Amino acid sequence: MKRFRRGVPALLLALGLAVLAMPEVAAWLMGGTQGPYPAARLLDLALDHAALSLAGVLPAGLLGLVLGVVVTRPGGRGLRPAADAAAAVAQAVPPIVVVALAVPAFGFGWAPTILALMLYGIMPVLRATVGALEAVPPETRLAAEAVGLSPRQVLQEVELALAWPLVLDGLRVALVLAVATTAVGALAGAATLGTPIVIGLQNQNQVLVLQGAAATAALAFLADALLLMAVPARD
Amino acid sequence: MILALIAIAALLLPLPFLGVAPNRLLPGEGVSALDAAGFWVAVPVVLLALGAWRRLPGWAGAAAAALGVVAVLGLAGAAANDRLADLAPAARASFGAGFWVAIVAGLSLVAMRGAWMGLAVAVGAAVLWAMGGLDRLSLVVEATARADALQSAIWTHLALAGAALALALLVAVPLAWAGFRRPRLGAVMGAALSGVQVVPAIALFALLIPLLAALLRAVPALRDLGLGAVGWLPAVLATAAYLALPLWRSLSGGLASADPAAVQAAEAMGMTEGRILAEVRLPLALPVFAGGLRVAVVQAIGLVTLGGLVGAGGLGAVVFEGLSQFATDLMLLGALPILLLALAADTLARAAENRLARPA
Repeated sequence: MKRFRRGVPALLLALGLAVLAMPEVAAWLMGGTQGPYPAARLLDLALDHAALSLAGVLPAGLLGLVLGVVVTRPGGRGLRPAADAAAAVAQAVPPIVVVALAVPAFGFGWAPTILALMLYGIMPVLRATVGALEAVPPETRLAAEAVGLSPRQVLQEVELALAWPLVLDGLRVALVLAVATTAVGALAGAATLGTPIVIGLQNQNQVLVLQGAAATAALAFLADALLLMAVPARD
Repeated sequence: MILALIAIAALLLPLPFLGVAPNRLLPGEGVSALDAAGFWVAVPVVLLALGAWRRLPGWAGAAAAALGVVAVLGLAGAAANDRLADLAPAARASFGAGFWVAIVAGLSLVAMRGAWMGLAVAVGAAVLWAMGGLDRLSLVVEATARADALQSAIWTHLALAGAALALALLVAVPLAWAGFRRPRLGAVMGAALSGVQVVPAIALFALLIPLLAALLRAVPALRDLGLGAVGWLPAVLATAAYLALPLWRSLSGGLASADPAAVQAAEAMGMTEGRILAEVRLPLALPVFAGGLRVAVVQAIGLVTLGGLVGAGGLGAVVFEGLSQFATDLMLLGALPILLLALAADTLARAAENRLARPA
């Protein structure tokens, strides 16, 4: 099946990186004398990491999608510059800075990271949604109106149906970036795959750094592969 | 408008507006805006409400909102002066959640109504600071105490970002040209550079240390050049690795954007490959490249922050010192300048880009 095959390279990459993150492999590679991170705890962290990434990306995706639809409606066109500017600002502020700014307001834990992921994730989805909706041929829209569909039906049954693969592609990019970015949350006290990286940096234990990095990248490629397989191929 | 409502609610509800603590280590006791400032709260509330009033023209609304934001800051400063008057000098007054919500919602309102009024907020804050109205706020106390270190951190930060940008350009320009001439090679480069983006940034910064240490052990001559496994080198290398993608992508896109008909016409006129590049391809590629350069500059300022983890200094070092000591003022002192630098770079680059995009 074609859609299944699209995800295979990313899946293989994820597997390879997961092997690299295994305690024995990482310790052997780094020639480390210090103890590696146990596999069971790494797996726990991976689950937390995935949950945190989703908690940040899902609201961002929803917001980006809704904003993208609003600014392409006749009534919302005026909002387009404001939405573009807001998304650009959100993208200009690096996640680590958002985390550092959010800790004083929300305290240590999950909240600063979720906020950073949300701000970071809106832009790719917004851009993909607007691009995809604008790529719908005007004739198609006119034809749908001509057969008597209401604006809402045109949006749901024609425009979004045609735009959907591109929108999902934007969501995939946002999710992959979010999984890689979530590691930063460890600096604000959230349990993520960044935790071994931070511990490793503090104790100069490079084995932990390698494990955390490889496991995060493995999770990001796994998310990429799963979404590539879930989304119908465009062509 | 919803933003003004949020800001006003943050001022009127019993949210901690200011935290008053006996010293900088103990957690503060929250004081709401109403308790801290009494009926003076009405000033920012009225100004913010005016800022959202649709009947007012955009500039007047933006000005009212800007004054409202300055008033929130002024109230916090005055309340801190007031509350700390009878306490020991070690006592601290820090901003609470209510303050942050009011300020962020107020600034967003300013940005919606007329972004250039943001300058008025900066001027207002500077006047308040100069008049001593903010002197007892913990953030200002900390900034004054560390003024020299902070200033040198800002310069280090900019120098690191500039070095990373230069290095990334040095790599991306020849790669883009090679990829343009041989598209198959270009596809491989694209995949490799995109792959880098998936590596978490903190991990790349951290992993460079053992790699560089191994390299320096193998080639000790490099050490004599002043290169070290810890410090600016891993920070610049790691940042440049992330910047390479936007630069490479925009350069490749720009080179490919030349209309084949225009290139053929130039060839038919007998232009050499070099002249076609200089007179046809590059002028057409410039606007596309400018967009990539803007993204790279902004990302450089942000990413260099992580250099604080590997001993490169800069504003990141201030942020991480704050995070490790749970000292919120230090986190803000590092993060706020990064935020302002990134936004300023974005605005300037956007203006330059618009000028380039306009047909001459």
